[in-house]
Amino acid sequence: MTPIAPWYLRPLAAVTAILFAVLIGGMLIIASGANPLAAYWQIVVGSLSPASLSDTLNWATPLVGMTLAAAIPLRGGMVNLGGDGQMVIGGLVGALVPIYLPGLPGPLAALLSLIAAALAGGLYAALAAWGQTRHNIPMLISSLLMSYPAVGITSYIVRFPLRDTATGLPQSEMIPEAARLLTLSGALNLGVLIMAAIGVLAVYIDRTTVAGYELRMRGSNLRFAAYGGVRLPRQAILTMFTSGAIAGTVGAIVVLGSQFRFIDGALLSPAYTWSGLMAALLANGEPLGAIAAGLFFAALQTGGFAMQRETSVPRVLTMVLQSVVILFLAMRHGIARRAT
Amino acid sequence: MLTVPALEAAGIVKRYGATLANDDVDLTVASGEIHAVMGENGAGKSTLMSILYGLQQPDAGRLLLQGQEVRLRSPLDAIAKGMGMVHQSFKLFNGLTVWENIVFGAEPRRGLFIDSATARQAIAALGEHHGLSVDPDARVGTLSVGVRQRVEILKALYREARVLILDEPTAVLTPQESAGLFLMMRRLTADGRSILFVTHKLQEVMEISDRVTVLRDGRVAARLRTSETTPQDIVRAMTGRTIALTAAPSQAQRGRPLLEATELTVAGPGNRPALDRVSLTVHAGEIVGIAGVAGNGQSELVEALTGLRPLSGGTVHVDGSAVTGADVAGHRAAGLAYIPEDRGNVGSALAASAAENLAMGFHNRPPLAQHGRINRAAMTERARGLIERFDILIAGPEAPVGSLSGGNLQKVVVARELSHEAPVLIAEQPTRGVDVGATEYIHAQLLAERDKGHGVLLVSAELSEILSLSDRVLVMYEGRIIAEVPRAKANPDSIGLLMAGRSVAAA
Amino acid sequence: MSGLLTPFIMQSAVQAITPLLLAALAGVLCGRVGVFNMALEGQMLVGAFAAIAGSYFLHSALGGIAAAILAAVIFSLILAYGATLFRGDPVVICIGMNLLASGLTAYLLRVLFGVSGTFGDPGIVGLGKIRIPLIRDIPILGWGFWSQTALTWVAIGLVGLVSLVLYQTPLGLRLRGVGEQPDAAETLGVDVQRYRIVTVLIGGALAGLAGAQLSLGVVSVFAEDMSAGRGWIAVVAVMLGRNNPLYAAAACVLFGFADALSVHLQSRGLPNQLTDMAPYLVTLAALAISHRKRNTKETRHA
Repeated sequence: MTPIAPWYLRPLAAVTAILFAVLIGGMLIIASGANPLAAYWQIVVGSLSPASLSDTLNWATPLVGMTLAAAIPLRGGMVNLGGDGQMVIGGLVGALVPIYLPGLPGPLAALLSLIAAALAGGLYAALAAWGQTRHNIPMLISSLLMSYPAVGITSYIVRFPLRDTATGLPQSEMIPEAARLLTLSGALNLGVLIMAAIGVLAVYIDRTTVAGYELRMRGSNLRFAAYGGVRLPRQAILTMFTSGAIAGTVGAIVVLGSQFRFIDGALLSPAYTWSGLMAALLANGEPLGAIAAGLFFAALQTGGFAMQRETSVPRVLTMVLQSVVILFLAMRHGIARRAT
Repeated sequence: MLTVPALEAAGIVKRYGATLANDDVDLTVASGEIHAVMGENGAGKSTLMSILYGLQQPDAGRLLLQGQEVRLRSPLDAIAKGMGMVHQSFKLFNGLTVWENIVFGAEPRRGLFIDSATARQAIAALGEHHGLSVDPDARVGTLSVGVRQRVEILKALYREARVLILDEPTAVLTPQESAGLFLMMRRLTADGRSILFVTHKLQEVMEISDRVTVLRDGRVAARLRTSETTPQDIVRAMTGRTIALTAAPSQAQRGRPLLEATELTVAGPGNRPALDRVSLTVHAGEIVGIAGVAGNGQSELVEALTGLRPLSGGTVHVDGSAVTGADVAGHRAAGLAYIPEDRGNVGSALAASAAENLAMGFHNRPPLAQHGRINRAAMTERARGLIERFDILIAGPEAPVGSLSGGNLQKVVVARELSHEAPVLIAEQPTRGVDVGATEYIHAQLLAERDKGHGVLLVSAELSEILSLSDRVLVMYEGRIIAEVPRAKANPDSIGLLMAGRSVAAA
Repeated sequence: MSGLLTPFIMQSAVQAITPLLLAALAGVLCGRVGVFNMALEGQMLVGAFAAIAGSYFLHSALGGIAAAILAAVIFSLILAYGATLFRGDPVVICIGMNLLASGLTAYLLRVLFGVSGTFGDPGIVGLGKIRIPLIRDIPILGWGFWSQTALTWVAIGLVGLVSLVLYQTPLGLRLRGVGEQPDAAETLGVDVQRYRIVTVLIGGALAGLAGAQLSLGVVSVFAEDMSAGRGWIAVVAVMLGRNNPLYAAAACVLFGFADALSVHLQSRGLPNQLTDMAPYLVTLAALAISHRKRNTKETRHA
């Protein structure tokens, strides 16, 4: 007979958490000698002003993607901490397909590339799920541990065997121009639309399909789902596959749409995976809320660049703000009650 | 001759939000007395006991021990003042040994270390003195329920308890073990200790207690001297009405086998199997009851029959189809519905709405789903219909079920499982923790299932429930079915002997 | 195989084992009282940073150690109170703490020292090695231990101390009870919340020491995210050891060797991108093997 929260309580709690983080952040800014109001203003201007909006959307594409990659398993009470590994595998595969299959017409190469990246990322994530369903190795731990070898191997590949001989830098060759994702305006490319479509699909599946229902029930009470006849092992593997596939697609989109090659470390340094995870936790795995949280964090981080440029407050502060929000929410509500 | 009562509670009030769990409760227990506290579920017994043991603080009222007013802020205070409590679900550390369990929190020391030698000796001596033999070095997790209860009692005695609270002590004992417990209780009170025991079993109250306090809806409904009262008086005080004690069900036609289990074997911890070549059959139009003390393989049997637990041997057929090795979905598809023992942790998703809870099992086929898409409107309609038909008290189909009372939540589970119209229904402890009204309703539903020509397997720790509903009673002991007793020959004495493992001498 | 157990390898192995051991002991204690600590990574990072900062500003290694302990304990308040008083999900709290540690140390690195990436300075007083020339020539063990920081000896001592306390003292009995069956402990008057909070904080101190060893005990440099997954390896060590300090220590020895192995492979010419993978691969393999052995047939745990 526990009172269950009405629908508006979570967004309200999220807003409170954000205010709390703003407060803590303000203190940290003062400690660095800068003016918090000026800093926060820069964040707002730097992300939402018409000039910066396309930058924000561009940053949002991979970030929201990684948010969905984390949110989908979280909806079912599962945690995928291996997003980094799945993303770089997808990115590398996404770069190699057009480079080493030069005969294909451009758009087909791009499509194949995205599909291959999704498959690669998905299989790698599904491996962690299989470890749990077959051998009881918690996927939370195994997914994270598997990330390190994935990053290591992709890094090695572009530093040695497949290194770009033209520049000598630790990166793959440039992908053929025809395979690149269509530019929409400025920095924005087709990737935004692809990601938007994935987002719509995720919300649709969650709300209207049998699979979405079964995932939500698993997230609400694992034993109930088992008792009701939901096939748990298959669900775990399919869910993690989907999660890894999205992460892989994110990697490919960045490679095909922005960087036009796989650059060692470039996918990891913006920390999309971890911001995405935090956005997913904020929304407790609920897809629409997660997308909103992802957009919010993207704006926060894009604004952070401006903040650093104009007020010298290190933009890494935005990561601190994000984690404070999560921690605050974790306290007040026991958020993200995982069924695992 | 007026002697100071061992325990006196005056004007105890305890509120939980809008509910008044204890409403001006007075209780007096004399030295050397066995005092029973009776009441239905939700009457306020558990609340009162936790206040007496310092687990909770009353909103108003006084507590006097040996005439001295005390304030118990925690169990430590209660223990220090001579209170001891044996909870219904044992508070024992299964991974620790008996002596570690007993001295926990009051360890004898030698310098900075535990003096385990002294501890063991003290416990052996204590056990001997009270006739409660235990092996101090045994790991509690390996002990039988009866022995574990002894450990619990020794825990209290080690701390020199003068007033012992026993909460539903016989819930997990066979009738014979209960008799042993009563002997122990008499011995303990012989040297002036008092025992307060909470129960809902009339028979025991009449047999062992000196006085009875009956609670109803948080208030004291009656204070009776056992020798001067009758079971009917007590029941009337508990419920406010006289109820018929068992319904006499009609004889229904027994048909074809709907559930057939053959030589089921399930691995257990250690060498002994949890299920040892169990075979049973449930026919159309009958209720088969499984009696037995909890922990003799009933849970494993149900899990094996429903597909929640893998078998290491044997076969299961549901309505003619072989489902051995299939997953839960396979069992259900063959025609099986299941009311689980744990309605909150297994039978429902508390944070989800009633509509979503009621949809489970139906959510992947018409009319609720088509081509993988769920029809929201159909789901709500269905929920509305079930809520009305089963008279479930809930705000609406979208309300989360976590807000429901025990009885209403159980109705949700029952409604869902019955609406499957499955040939086989397995009901596990279907009325545990459920108020009398809902219990009567659920019993009526089970009988209706039988009359429809379905087969019901009823697993219950409430012998009275088994006896009143079953056409046949199977007794489980140590993972085996050791007897089958037809309705005519089933009574508490014969079944009780069987539950303890003794074979049928003359049933 | 003897080519593997060179003096250099032994020395780096023991050096690598030390922070894992300290962190694993922290994890064991928390696990024993029923708080699943996955924030070891973040706690170590906080300790590593505070050790550098403390040594720099206080001009002493001891100051660094003290700062590391203090900072890690304060940081651990989040988990201590979050998982008990605030009833938060320890997994979410720990993930949040790890991310907070990463961001906060990076932020403070820029704000306090004006650099990004790494910070090294002659003003930082590193942890001196305790040299025991006498044992230097003893094969294997002597090679490993003749020149290590005080923290290595503290770590070893703590393994024994924690075991002793857990299994022989009243405090240890209560800790074990609190973790196994908190409501039973509660009814016997043991304040579960208080024991949990204090234990998590003590664990925090140990994890802080682990971080100090990482920074001050090696090259007296702080690098962003320098805990580099060691906290997670410690978590696995705790899991493999089933919250038993001795078994967890054994796991740490294995993983520390893997770490040293990667250094050895690097010196043999293999690129560090590949050799760095060694500890994680060993950890994954250990996880797989250990779970293969005790494969429970619970279908519900999918």
